[in-house]
Amino acid sequence: MALSQTPFVVCAIIIPLLTAFAIPLIGYWKKSLCYFIANAALLAALLSTVVVLNLVVRHGSLDYHLGGWAPPWGIAFRVDTLNALMGTLTASLFFLVGISSKRNVPRELPYKETPFYALFLLLFTGLMGMIFTGDLFNLYVFLEVGSLTAYALIAMGEPGAMVASFRYLIMGTVGASWYLLGVGYLYITTGSLNMADVARILPGIGASKAVLSGFAFLLIGIAIKMALFPVHMWLPDAYTKAPSTVSAAIAPIMTKVMAYILIRISFTVFRADYVIHTVRAGQGMVWFGTLAILFGGITALAQKDFKRMLTFIIVAEIGYIVGGVGLANATALKGALFHVFNDAVMMATLFMVAMMVTHRTGGHGIDRFFGLFSKMPLTATVFTVGALAVIGVPPTCGFFSKWYLLLGGIQAGQWGFVAALLICTLINVALFFRVFDKGLYLHAAGTGHELKEGELGIQEAPWSMVVVGLILASALVVIGIGNQFILETFIQPVVPKGF
Amino acid sequence: MAVLFSLAYRPLVAVLIPGLVSILVLFSRRRPNLREAWTLIGSAALFATVLSMNQRVVKGGPLELFLFPLFPGVAFHLRADAPGLIFATTSSCLWILVSLYAIGYMRTLKEHAQTRFYFCFAVALFSAVGVAFSANLVTLFLFYEILTLSTYPLVAHEESPEAISAGHKYLAYLLTGGVFFLIAILMTYHWVLTTNFQPGGILGPVSGAVSPWALRIVFVCFLIGCVKAAWMPLHAWLPSAMVAPTPVSALLHAVAVVKAGVFCVIRIVYYVFGVDLMASLGLGGFLALVASFTLITANLYAIGQDNLKRRLAYSTINQLSFILLGVALLRPMALKGALLHIPFHGFMKITLFLCAGAIAAIAGKKEISRMQGVGRALPMTMGAFMIGAFGMCGAPPLAGFLSKWHIALGAVESGHLIFLGVILAGSLLDVVYFFPVIRDAFFGKMPESEMLPADSEERVAPLDKGTHWMERQRPLYLFMVVPLAVTALFSILLCFFPDMFSIYDLATGAVSNLF
Repeated sequence: MALSQTPFVVCAIIIPLLTAFAIPLIGYWKKSLCYFIANAALLAALLSTVVVLNLVVRHGSLDYHLGGWAPPWGIAFRVDTLNALMGTLTASLFFLVGISSKRNVPRELPYKETPFYALFLLLFTGLMGMIFTGDLFNLYVFLEVGSLTAYALIAMGEPGAMVASFRYLIMGTVGASWYLLGVGYLYITTGSLNMADVARILPGIGASKAVLSGFAFLLIGIAIKMALFPVHMWLPDAYTKAPSTVSAAIAPIMTKVMAYILIRISFTVFRADYVIHTVRAGQGMVWFGTLAILFGGITALAQKDFKRMLTFIIVAEIGYIVGGVGLANATALKGALFHVFNDAVMMATLFMVAMMVTHRTGGHGIDRFFGLFSKMPLTATVFTVGALAVIGVPPTCGFFSKWYLLLGGIQAGQWGFVAALLICTLINVALFFRVFDKGLYLHAAGTGHELKEGELGIQEAPWSMVVVGLILASALVVIGIGNQFILETFIQPVVPKGF
Repeated sequence: MAVLFSLAYRPLVAVLIPGLVSILVLFSRRRPNLREAWTLIGSAALFATVLSMNQRVVKGGPLELFLFPLFPGVAFHLRADAPGLIFATTSSCLWILVSLYAIGYMRTLKEHAQTRFYFCFAVALFSAVGVAFSANLVTLFLFYEILTLSTYPLVAHEESPEAISAGHKYLAYLLTGGVFFLIAILMTYHWVLTTNFQPGGILGPVSGAVSPWALRIVFVCFLIGCVKAAWMPLHAWLPSAMVAPTPVSALLHAVAVVKAGVFCVIRIVYYVFGVDLMASLGLGGFLALVASFTLITANLYAIGQDNLKRRLAYSTINQLSFILLGVALLRPMALKGALLHIPFHGFMKITLFLCAGAIAAIAGKKEISRMQGVGRALPMTMGAFMIGAFGMCGAPPLAGFLSKWHIALGAVESGHLIFLGVILAGSLLDVVYFFPVIRDAFFGKMPESEMLPADSEERVAPLDKGTHWMERQRPLYLFMVVPLAVTALFSILLCFFPDMFSIYDLATGAVSNLF
């Protein structure tokens, strides 16, 4: 098992963890270094995840036993193509957001650069741990590491962030407690915390009430953490009020990591057969997914703030993913997994736009987008691609995951879910074209802003942000065009048998 | 590089040329002359590329290009076949003329945001050519949606509240249609696991397995998806979109958008459902009824319009239904007529719109009631208008006669003489609303106070009332007058030489392949 004990798995977690502790010391000596050190750590983590991804694709899943202790006693990291892909995605997004923070953090969080970068890395550590771990309790530990740093980071934001963060803290802790209770029930019945071990023992136990309760508690905990309607209330405020850089990092990835955990728990720890046929959780997931899509979409229509609008779109997108999982066929699950990936990139793109607009205009209301296409043409391009991806216009990636979700819905005969997806598509059109119109039309009478062409000088966002935005926007198209490669290489191998 | 010139890659090259133009336009936004030069060079190159394929396809069958997979069983797949080439030839030829015209029009009226205009125009052409050369429904859908999105800033170009609400209406209709299109494509894929266009259809094998009503509903979804064909009652976006500048109206009505709609209907009827399935499900009759209803009703609407462009918009709705009727009759002659009517109507309708735009830009008149005597001030323009209007009515020796003749023959062939009656009644109604315009323009008398050009800065005092010829006042006007004269000329020539650009051969080839 020489290959399995490859250090790269743990590098992606240890390097940012140690750097996070080193940053306060370095920041005490020289504050301007924090940016570079943090990004160097993120780059190192990114490279390790890429190596891991490469190894997993070529040699199959990796098992890493922390400290050499064999499971079920020691803590094990287990990496297959799905979490290798999630890890690479998370590391790439954090690295990109890290790069783009150069000018924004000193402006929005003056004198707080050092704690910001330390917490930022700690958050990253928590997320990577959640993704790579193969141990249920270890997952809880990393979940708390990630969540606690997220509360702190969000609380640094604009006025009102403190309250929003506190609300998130209460809800997040409740969610984590449910999760912990669920793990406790599973430990009582199986005597193990290792995911693979639990998965091996569970079928022998049969349909016990304790196992069922454990599963239900786990689901509730994860649902709260991933802001599934109707337990999403903490999300909009927290993500809107957070500092730009923080929301650009947290909003795209944190709920998606929880979606990944939902899929991991449902299909790796429990078996698809148990979840779908014995518990019949699928139908409930589809219903909650459908409601989340409709609620998220319609509420987003009522928002006047760009970031807040995006947060409700996240609520809807979580509905896509949960519904896709609940449809319980291979096509829909592929769609849901692909959408986890796509939605992270789409939301990163759009929150990056919010960051650029906030940096230049000092706010993120939709009215700040006035004249965007003249003032900030590159930002406007990034926005357009991101918006088209969320709407699901080909050839952006949003179209392809939506295709699989819709096809899965048709195969399962869940017409309500299909209709909700299509309605939400149209709502997204209305949402984004409202912003688009603001940005494009300068002469619109009645806005009080009649302008001549060229009257608005170009005031593009700093290059560190623009480059990142353009990379993300082109990724949306590249992922869309290369969707067959991604699906066949990374996602097809993890679709469970029995579908 | 050499591979790009090989015949197999021609369809891709044709799609990429307007795409490249759009990027070049964006980068030369500070140099208007260079910017317009890119458009002109690109349009000429596109036309040459498309023409170079026509004869090959007539003789050697379609050109296929398989690029990369999109879904299992579905690829990004281009195919230049006969119907696609007819559409592409129309679009690319008219793009040259509209580009020339746009230079004159946009500069005369000193329009804002011209870079955005030329950029979106090129993207629209990119997607129109893509629609023409798509070999399966997914590729088609991709380009179809880009076409909708790229034309939205063009429709709302004026940025007045009216224009923006027209733009919103446009988006609402077309994107909602797009959602129906998507669901129909998904159902097709769900049933047969492919979306490739095949002469004779792909849905034939499942007709036993799924309920006929499911197939009928999917067909209606497809038809709603083809809302670009402006069939009634889903036509309202088209008349309100006439607030856009005239070159945009030309793009909508002749070059790309509505033609993409009817083209998609042809693809769906003949290449997805197939003649046999259409007939056995009774969908041909259904489509023919929709088309006949639209044909007559649109003409009745047109009679009441005072705004010239609005009247022309209803005329477009009517003419599109001629094409749909030709498609729906499921007869070789009727289909040939429908295929011919795509380019023929394109040339005639663009003439009419360019005339309407020239009247608005040069004489400042948009309402028909104010166009008394305008024919004497703008003789070239109104002459061309007259040719276009005669063509619309189907009078020989104009192109419209030829295509309507084929459709009428198809109606006779089908044995349902009622449709022949519809065709004749529709053409008669065309006369009712076009001839008063021509009569007033030539024989009415213009009030003296209005005998001045629209842009008062360049006001040139008329020498005397007899020789007041507005078209000659500025050289810039030539950019408008020459293209509309050329399209008028083509409308006549196409009647005598229907095989110009191999259009007739292509139509014959397409029909013989399908029946």
